[in-house]
Amino acid sequence: MAIQIVMDRTGESRHPFNPDETRELAKAERRFYALTDGGSASAVRTGLGQVSQIQCFDPTAEETTVFPRLVGG
Amino acid sequence: MLCFSPSRRGERSRKRAVRAIFIRLGAERTPEGRSLRLLREWLSPVQSAQFLTRGYFEVIGGDTGKQYRIYAGTASNVCEVDERGAPTIGLCFLPQGELPIGDVMLSQKIALERCESRTLEVSRKFVPTGFMFRRNRLLG
Repeated sequence: MAIQIVMDRTGESRHPFNPDETRELAKAERRFYALTDGGSASAVRTGLGQVSQIQCFDPTAEETTVFPRLVGG
Repeated sequence: MLCFSPSRRGERSRKRAVRAIFIRLGAERTPEGRSLRLLREWLSPVQSAQFLTRGYFEVIGGDTGKQYRIYAGTASNVCEVDERGAPTIGLCFLPQGELPIGDVMLSQKIALERCESRTLEVSRKFVPTGFMFRRNRLLG
């Protein structure tokens, strides 16, 4: 199972999906682009403490996090 | 005749451990608790140990290799540090919306490690004072 973690006011919303299921994968991809097209950024965990920022949906990523656009304080 | 009874010290330590578990489980039901759990999951072991013991963790800028320190906080909580570990420039940037503390700090870590230049463009710079970065709350 893979998971998309969307940061929000509640801390996070977790959306697990099975990447081998076409329908679930398509839904995860739609969610990803709906968020990133709106300005959110995303990253995948590539190892212990290692992250990589992504611009496109990665169907092989086990854990993807999406967070809102960064602004100056 | 020998009488076996649980040692008071052992009992006290067990009670403390049970209490800590209850506090932790309770805290993780809150947005802040959940966000801190996510942050802990995404930190490297070294960053995790720093956060636990010092209340901050350090990251290396992905473009310049400069060192930054992220303190527990949601605003004006990041600074660049020199090779002696002294704060040189304060940076203020955060994700839009009212996110809980762990989410803000995780976003800051990812941004500095993976798109440092863009992050520096949007962040507001300030001169760090000792007071601002002395407040290390232990949340790890």
